[in-house]
Amino acid sequence: MRTSILTIAASLAMTLGIGAASADTLADVKAKGTLTIGVKNDYPPYGFLNDKGEIVGFEVDLGKYIAKELLGPEGKFELVPVVAANRIEFLNSGRIDIILATLGVTEERGKVIDFSEYYVSAPGPSVIAPKAATFSKWEELKGLTLCGIQGSYYNKHLSGDLGIQLTAFKTQPEAYRALKDNRCVGFVFDDMTLRQKTEEADWAGYKIAVDPYEYIPQAAGIRKNDVAFRDAVNKAITKAEAEGKLIEWETTYGMPPAKYIAERAKAAAAKLKP
Amino acid sequence: MFGLDYSWLSDPVYQDWLLRGTLTTIGLALASSAIAILIGAFGALALSLRIAWLDALIELFVELFRNTPPLLQMLFFYFTLSTIGLRVTDPATGLSVPLLSAFDCALVSLSLFGGALCIEAFRSGLESLPHSVTEAARSLGYSRWARFRRIEMPIASRICLPALTNILTNLFKTTSQASVITVPELMYYAGQIYNDTFRTAEVMLLVLLIYVSLVSLLSWGMSRIEQALAFPGYGKGH
Repeated sequence: MRTSILTIAASLAMTLGIGAASADTLADVKAKGTLTIGVKNDYPPYGFLNDKGEIVGFEVDLGKYIAKELLGPEGKFELVPVVAANRIEFLNSGRIDIILATLGVTEERGKVIDFSEYYVSAPGPSVIAPKAATFSKWEELKGLTLCGIQGSYYNKHLSGDLGIQLTAFKTQPEAYRALKDNRCVGFVFDDMTLRQKTEEADWAGYKIAVDPYEYIPQAAGIRKNDVAFRDAVNKAITKAEAEGKLIEWETTYGMPPAKYIAERAKAAAAKLKP
Repeated sequence: MFGLDYSWLSDPVYQDWLLRGTLTTIGLALASSAIAILIGAFGALALSLRIAWLDALIELFVELFRNTPPLLQMLFFYFTLSTIGLRVTDPATGLSVPLLSAFDCALVSLSLFGGALCIEAFRSGLESLPHSVTEAARSLGYSRWARFRRIEMPIASRICLPALTNILTNLFKTTSQASVITVPELMYYAGQIYNDTFRTAEVMLLVLLIYVSLVSLLSWGMSRIEQALAFPGYGKGH
C-alpha cells in the first residue's frame, strides 16, 4: 500500500512536471560528493543483507566501484534499498541517482529511463514445482494455474500469450505458502531466486520444472537524457570489466561463472588497450 | 492535459483485464451484499426473540466480525482454514487442495463482515419501533413470525435504509482488498497494468472513475428504493 501511494505521488509529480530532478546528475553528484545508489537488499547474489546486517552483493560492489570512479578514491556512496515496484519512481523523483537493482532492460522501461552498458545477462522466469510434476515446457502449462507475483514484467506474456491461469500474490512468502497448499501447480518467478530455493531443506521435494524462455540483459538505470552521467557510468563499468572485477565479484558471491560476463571482460580489455 | 497518456488502453489484453476485473468486483459486491442483508435480517430477528444463549452467540459473532479488519479475515480464511484441515482431494490430479478458493474466502469474509454490521443496523430499526405498534399486532392475534414479517420488518427496514446504504457502499469498496488474496478484481488488474506501463496516475484515475460510477449507481439505486418505500412521517416520506 505504502509503495503504491509513493508510486502514485511520484508519477503525479512527474506528470505535472514538478519534482523531476535536473538532468545533470554528474555535476550534482560531484557537488554533493556522494553517489546515492538504489540497490536490492533481499536479492542474493546481487544485493542482500549479510550476517552483520550490511547490504552487500554483486551490484553493491559495482555501485561502490562506480562511486570511486566518479568521485575519486575519497568518493562516498549511499545505499538506498528499493523494490521492483518503486525503483523507477525513486530515480525519476530524484531520491536516488542510479538504479543498480536487478534492473532488466525492457522496451517499456526504456520509455521512462535510460540504461547503461548491459553488464549481466540474467535468466528470466522459470517454474518451481513438486518433483512429481510432469510438465517441462512452457507450452504444456496452458490452462494450468500457476502462482506468481503481482507486478512481474512477464505476467502479461504468461497469461496473454501462453494462456496460463496466473494467481499473483503481493509477496514471495505468500506465493510459496500457496504452492505448498497446492493452490497452484507451480510458482513462476525469477530463475535465480527459485534455484536457490530448491537447495533449501524445506524445498527438497521441489524442482525447477520449466527452464527460463529468455535471458534479459541487466543494466544500471539512469534518468532520461542525462548524457554526461551515463557516459561516466558506462566508462566506469567498462573499466571494471576490463580489470576483471565482475568475474572477481561472481566468485565472491558464489555465482556460476557466466559466459556473457567473461566475453564482455575480454571485449572491454581489448577496447581499453591503447 | 497534464500529459496523460492513455495509449495503453488500446491493448486488448488490458481491455480484457479491466472488463474482467470490473465484473469480478461487481459480482463479489452483489453476492456479499445479498448474504450480508440475509444475515442481518435473521440475526436481528433472532435477537428480538430474547433468548439468552442466542443473544450471547450473536453478540459474539458481531463483535468478532465487526471489530476485525476484513483484510485480516480474508488472509485468515485463505491461509489458515486449509492448514487446519478444510481440504478436499482434487479428482483431476489426486492432490489435496484447499476447499475454499480465493473468491470463496473473500465472499465469506465480506458477507460475515457486512452481516455483522447489518445485524446492528436492523436491530436499531427494530428497537426504534413504537411499542404500541407491536402491541397492536399482538392484540390482533399475529403469530411471532407473522408479526416480524408483516409488521416489524417492513417498518424497521425502512427506518434503517440510510444505515444500510452506508454499509453496502462500504462493502463495495472493501472488495478491493480481495486483491491481496489474488481475487482477480479491479485493483488486482490495475496494479498489474501500471506495473507494466508505468502509467500509474492514468490507471489510478481510470480505476477511481470506475469505482465512483459503480458506487454512485449503488447509492442512487438505494435512494430510489428509499423513496419508493417511504411512508408518511418517516425518512423521505414527508
